[in-house]
Amino acid sequence: MSIDARNHDDAEQMGGGSDGDDDSRSRIGRWAKDWMEHPEKAYAVMGVFMGGVLLTTSLFPLYWLFVVAMAPPGQTNISLIPAEIDLTAFVDIFVQVPFARFMFNSLFYAFSVTAIVLLIGSLAGYAFGRLDFRGKTPLLFSLLVLSFFPPATLFLPLFRAFNQQIPLLGIFTLPAEIYGTPGAVVAPLSAFTMPLAIFILTTFYGQIPDGLEDAARVEGTTRIGALFRVIMPLSAPGIATAGILTFITVYTEFFFSFLMTGDSAAEWAPVVNGVLAFQTQYTTRYDLQAAASLVAIVPVAILVVFAQEKIISGLTQGALKE
Amino acid sequence: MARVKLTDVTKEYGDVVAVNDMNLDLKDGEFICLVGPSGCGKSTTLETVAGLTKPTSGEILIGDREVTNLPPKDRGIAMVFQNIALFPHMDVYDNISFGLRLRNFEQDEMDRRVDNAAGIVQLEGMLDRMPDEMSGGQRQRVAIARAIVREPEVFLMDEPLANLDAKLRVNMRTELQRLHKQLDTTIIYVTHNQAEAMTMSDRIAVLNSGELQQIDPPLVCYNEPANRFVAGFIGSPSMNFAMTTIEGDTLQADGYAISFDTAAVDGVSDGDQVEIGIRPEDIYLTENSAEARNPSTAFEVQTDVLEPMGDEIFVYLKPIGAAGESGMGDIEERQGLLMSVDPDTDIHEDESVEIVIDRDRIHLFDVASGDALSHGVVTGATEAEAGEGGAQAD
Repeated sequence: MSIDARNHDDAEQMGGGSDGDDDSRSRIGRWAKDWMEHPEKAYAVMGVFMGGVLLTTSLFPLYWLFVVAMAPPGQTNISLIPAEIDLTAFVDIFVQVPFARFMFNSLFYAFSVTAIVLLIGSLAGYAFGRLDFRGKTPLLFSLLVLSFFPPATLFLPLFRAFNQQIPLLGIFTLPAEIYGTPGAVVAPLSAFTMPLAIFILTTFYGQIPDGLEDAARVEGTTRIGALFRVIMPLSAPGIATAGILTFITVYTEFFFSFLMTGDSAAEWAPVVNGVLAFQTQYTTRYDLQAAASLVAIVPVAILVVFAQEKIISGLTQGALKE
Repeated sequence: MARVKLTDVTKEYGDVVAVNDMNLDLKDGEFICLVGPSGCGKSTTLETVAGLTKPTSGEILIGDREVTNLPPKDRGIAMVFQNIALFPHMDVYDNISFGLRLRNFEQDEMDRRVDNAAGIVQLEGMLDRMPDEMSGGQRQRVAIARAIVREPEVFLMDEPLANLDAKLRVNMRTELQRLHKQLDTTIIYVTHNQAEAMTMSDRIAVLNSGELQQIDPPLVCYNEPANRFVAGFIGSPSMNFAMTTIEGDTLQADGYAISFDTAAVDGVSDGDQVEIGIRPEDIYLTENSAEARNPSTAFEVQTDVLEPMGDEIFVYLKPIGAAGESGMGDIEERQGLLMSVDPDTDIHEDESVEIVIDRDRIHLFDVASGDALSHGVVTGATEAEAGEGGAQAD
């Protein structure tokens, strides 16, 4: 209080000294005085400014994609405001290449990895969160360590294993070549996204009171039954969080899904290949690429819009009262 | 409906023995309370019957089936939990019918049973509510309805009333008794509240440190405790204990002496140390000594603190000439005597009064083992007592 008061006096003196000669300086002085007296005004201005910067930096690329998609084919000089709104590019992308199939491929990866991760991650989360067993902590830590590896380091061995039918660990060979099949993408991506999901689910499942599980078991479920009927429904925010993080990670994943599959839609190529398909040896249809990129964002955008409440509550709160 | 039998059940957690060699044989339709202090193993015992915990050794029978290694769902039991444990994401109907749905009951039969159970616990018209819209008492009723709807052979209740407020607890206590009368199902009820145990049960099983101390009807536990632990645990306020030395036919305590019939007490001899236990209501002012059936010789004591309870007054007494302090409150520390008198008695703090002790109701305990040696220290006392059994429950 006393410090505020002193600052206030100083500001007044500064403003007073520069009063007569320079009008702009006195205006700055008045601002400074006003903000020092009412810091919340300064915070509001800074908040609006920061928000504006963030919105611009995150939304402008999307707007730019839209502008590019509006431009006629081959035009390189693109103005900031499109000359005309012409949405044919959004139709053309589905006509010129099987873009829907590319999207389906990526969505298929995202959905199947999410399902696998949630199923196996739930079982692991149950064990880590609700059971006591020897070696629990080391196991959880090794899982964490696993997620520290850059996935790219594992690409070559996996590529060989999927392509050349080499004996794994000298014990078994994979039954068939799985390069170019969904398995070559789903298996490694499931493994890479699993640790985070297990951590999230462990936290949530560990918070469900023992009494509820006991009650479910006495009422007639097995432990697994209690997991699916009671623990998972009550951990919905956690499952939504883990599921959506996994989904987005896989849907936007480029490295494995690009390299483990062929280039055509029928060879299970992901949506990135779909965008690249508008680039031929002689021409590049930037307008179609931009349109395709925008369409590719739609599923994730829908997901986030509908699930953001769950994600936020899942990331921040997590506690469940009985 | 079924009998429940535990044979040599032991449960160890690492080095800790939670339940040690428990033997219980419950009759069909019996209401039995497991009581004991915190950590005595009563909940663990219940969990082994429920199947939520597997005993380290021993055998459990429900009805005529050995269920030791069966999962909870196959044991024909239902359980009510201390924290109520309703499924928060289901409405009342779904909570009650949870077990029935798992067993693929027909919808009609399910509706009929849920309505019936809801009627028994007076929950009609609330079937579509969510648990968080209900009061504590209503939730507990839902939990009980969920237990009775499956018509189990045995009910297990783990301190079901502990989280309710005092008034509700008394109401639910009465309702549970009514329920037991109505359903006539075997009930195993865990509580640390001895008032619940005394009022509701057919028999009380008193546990301490994982071991069964006594299993008897409530008044037998009260009047003829098997050992010092039971004597101190059952009854509120608890029994007075005093160390005495036997000198001929007197029990010489710190500051007073009580004469007794040597013939009435077996297994003690001159010079032995024994511990005597006297309930507060068995101490009388000399002017009321006619109420005692077999009064001891009067002796003088100093009153210390009075605790008027409304229906009676608790008076802390210190025998004149005693060495120790009165050590109020704490059972183990209490050196003097606690007496209960009528509320209209003319008695004040720090005055000296004369009291007598009803020798029919003095309990003798072995110092080393804590086992009861005798209930009443004059001939014929025990018989007289067993026939009467009119002691206060709470």
